[in-house]
Amino acid sequence: MDSRLVGQPRPRAEDQRLVRGQGRYTDDMNLPGQAYGAFVRATHAHAVIRGIDIEAASQAPGVIAVLRGQDYLDDGLRGMDHIPNPADAVAFKERAFPDSLTGSVFNQRHLPLVVDRVRHVGEPIVLVVARSAREARDACEMVLIDYDPLPAVVDAVQAMDEGAPQLWDGAARNLCFQARVGDEAAVREAFARAHRVVRREFRNSRIVNCQMEPRSALGSFDAGSGEYLLISGSQGVTRQQMCIADALGIPPAKLRVVSPDVGGGFGPRSCVNPDQLAVLWAARRVGQPVKWTSDRNEAFLSDYQGRDQVIRAAIAFDEEGRILGIDNEIIGNVGAHTVSYVPLANGSRIMTTVYHVPAATALLSAVLTNTPPTGPYRGAGRPEATHVMERMLDVAADEMGMDRIELRRRNLIQPSQMPYRSPMGLTYDSGGFAANMERALLVSQWSEAPARKREAQSRGKLLGTGLANYVESPVGAPRERIEITIGADGRVDFVVGTQSTGQGHETSFVQVLADELGVPFEAVTMRTGDSLFVKVGGGSHSDRSMRLVGHLLLQAGEQLRAAALTAAASMWGIDAQGLRYAGGRVRDEAGQREAGLGEIAAHIERAGMPGHPEEHRFFAAAEFNGRIAAHPTGTAVCELEIDPETGDVEIVRYTSIDDVGRPINPLIVEGQVHGGLAQGIGQAFLEDYHVDPESGQIFSGSYMDYGVARAGAIPRRFDVELTEDRTHGNALGVKGGGESGITPATAAIFNALADALRDITHEELPMPATPAAIWSALQRAQEARS
Amino acid sequence: MIRVELRVNGEAVSREVDDRTLLVELLRYELGLTGTHVGCDTSQCGACTVKLDGAAVKSCAVLAAQASGGEVLTVEGLSTPQQLGEVPAAFVACHGLQCGFCTPGMMMAIDYYLDTDGSLDDERIHQALEGNICRCTGYVNIIEAVKHAAHARIEAGKPVGRQHG
Ligand code: FES
Ligand code: FES
Repeated sequence: MDSRLVGQPRPRAEDQRLVRGQGRYTDDMNLPGQAYGAFVRATHAHAVIRGIDIEAASQAPGVIAVLRGQDYLDDGLRGMDHIPNPADAVAFKERAFPDSLTGSVFNQRHLPLVVDRVRHVGEPIVLVVARSAREARDACEMVLIDYDPLPAVVDAVQAMDEGAPQLWDGAARNLCFQARVGDEAAVREAFARAHRVVRREFRNSRIVNCQMEPRSALGSFDAGSGEYLLISGSQGVTRQQMCIADALGIPPAKLRVVSPDVGGGFGPRSCVNPDQLAVLWAARRVGQPVKWTSDRNEAFLSDYQGRDQVIRAAIAFDEEGRILGIDNEIIGNVGAHTVSYVPLANGSRIMTTVYHVPAATALLSAVLTNTPPTGPYRGAGRPEATHVMERMLDVAADEMGMDRIELRRRNLIQPSQMPYRSPMGLTYDSGGFAANMERALLVSQWSEAPARKREAQSRGKLLGTGLANYVESPVGAPRERIEITIGADGRVDFVVGTQSTGQGHETSFVQVLADELGVPFEAVTMRTGDSLFVKVGGGSHSDRSMRLVGHLLLQAGEQLRAAALTAAASMWGIDAQGLRYAGGRVRDEAGQREAGLGEIAAHIERAGMPGHPEEHRFFAAAEFNGRIAAHPTGTAVCELEIDPETGDVEIVRYTSIDDVGRPINPLIVEGQVHGGLAQGIGQAFLEDYHVDPESGQIFSGSYMDYGVARAGAIPRRFDVELTEDRTHGNALGVKGGGESGITPATAAIFNALADALRDITHEELPMPATPAAIWSALQRAQEARS
Repeated sequence: MIRVELRVNGEAVSREVDDRTLLVELLRYELGLTGTHVGCDTSQCGACTVKLDGAAVKSCAVLAAQASGGEVLTVEGLSTPQQLGEVPAAFVACHGLQCGFCTPGMMMAIDYYLDTDGSLDDERIHQALEGNICRCTGYVNIIEAVKHAAHARIEAGKPVGRQHG
């Protein structure tokens, strides 16, 4: 492969249409004769439905149908199986959680409309279909739901109590499963001989996804062919197709799923939402296409959410500050439906992060509550685990009177230990953990921080620095496929099963393939997002896209180059031995003959592929099912100032050293780091998901009362450096970049906050650390002293 | 129903619409100008920002009828098929977008900022973008794009910070 394009910070091809307003998001699309849907959503967090009166709504102007959950069941259909238990990080053919201490792993099918009991505010109960969106919404107001409220529980720890309200039969104490992972006996032994054990509890706050494109779905049904069409943004069409076809009881081939441009994914849009199923069913019922677009208020109540874990951590150290063992309890709030156990799987696997930990164990609990379901949100368990590990090291350093960097140096996995097998069974093949940290210290001018601290103090500000090391895990859907076809016009067309939700695949994937084939960037076109031609593929999540697709592009590209030589030889009636492939052309050594890919494709269209005479396209496919080791890693340093008068915080500089392996397009990689950091800042300071603990009512229901970072929240100094330690796990040497920014962000920020407050309070600040929260902690410390 | 008459991207438009129709609905659903997006229902996100008589407005907070008689510029009017406008070109050059959903509104707010202020001071730019949310980019590159576009305007001999909308 020649590297003309790979490694170049090339502006993105897709931008040409997006900046002209020519992007095509779901709500921009329409089908002839479409009707519009609107949902009546639960106003109680937990209640039995005694009755649904649709009389008035059915008579309302423009209304075509008013559909209930019972109608869906009467049609002989069933709920969606989200398959929440993911493929194991190592043994990918197994489930991450094969069994549960509770006896079995609970999984409940998810109906598109509630039948007799609502379990979270915002759950869809009725779908009104009308001539216009406005008429559908107006008619929703006329539907009367007779509720019999039940006590609600929104906190996962409380939900595990005996006597807590129970959500589902079959999940006693609201536990979907409980699992002990790691080596408990070894950890117990390590703790028994520890010099010191450090313990602390962390609450990783709930996050509302807030992708800017409100979810939208347009469904249609063709009675003649029995085929359904769903147009709806997602992180990959294949999963949507499988899950929804299963619920409708049809073969997947009878459902075409199209995901056009997608306005942000961030994890939850990997999963299938009830409304996507509902519009398809409704379309069949009413005999015309049905379109629904969420408003933002609905999104706050019904988009799958993220994080929401309680982690009780304990680390045992010897006299020198070396880690002997880790014993964590991780309690994940699953919400009202079993959508995803991914965060618990990822978080426990990676919990020892970049440190040499001889023994580790964790007790994991997945808990149902009367809140919107949670799914994987950017990093999905890894930022949570990193937060805990890095905070614990700072807490431990404090308690042991050690320098927090020195403590890390003593525990980091060294290059000489590679490949390193973690106690949770992950194998790190590469990663300069110590070098990344040293680089971050240098770039952030860590050693001069005390002087800056004094200077800030003279201005009445509390300055703090915090550092966090991180590593990620190579998970996500194991299966991926690409197909490449070269036409007689020399154009290269390829199909991938991932889906860009803003990551720029039309650029970075093309850079890889164009280099591999030695053709210009402009000669290559990527296609995705339509199950008509995407038959296999896992979608975009868990940093998997370039890792898998890049690898497969090289494989298929190699096949095509080999085929080009053979085909050219047969075209010229000579031996392939003396032929060479370079720059998208085949030449003989004597320089007599030469053919481009288009000519070769034309020959193949006549004569068939070498070795496959029945194949008349110049075509190659590559498929993979498994795990490709790749552990993106790095270090973040945050420096901030607290105004003790107000609790207000300003991040004054932020350093991010990221090893994404080989960066295909550094512009895109850095953009991913920026975006992840902004989401980390949001979680650390702003994003306050608030639900009333008694009633389960959601108070943060709009951008007015849920803080998403705006431009002013971003630090003035932001230094990103890519260190490039190529992995040997895949031919391209890539690791992944989508989660680099976010994984260490809250850890570095909270360590900086704790450092700033070191002389005043050792309280663990809540997340988000709003000015009010910081100010209150300062007040409490002052009161305690006086 | 009410008749609205306005100019959109230089073209005269006349439509009979429901009284409640918002300007953004007119643009998207009546005129097919789907580049203007809807990201919220509380006029917080700025995805719907357009220019109305030279001023940046959130088109989800303006009735179509209120805009009648006015001159509207949307993202589709920032570039020609042959050439990107300064702001869109700057967004491409600086990687100021990822999913692209916030981008049209963001660019219209910036276009207005360049008309009326155009200072390269970060604080001023932050203030100008206070009404626009982007969940993807982390804003760093958007701020770069503002500066890039300001330079491009000056190089093209176009005014920066002089017009008051
Ligand atoms: S859609 Fe207008 S401000 Fe959000
Ligand atoms: S680019 Fe996706 S919201 Fe801004």
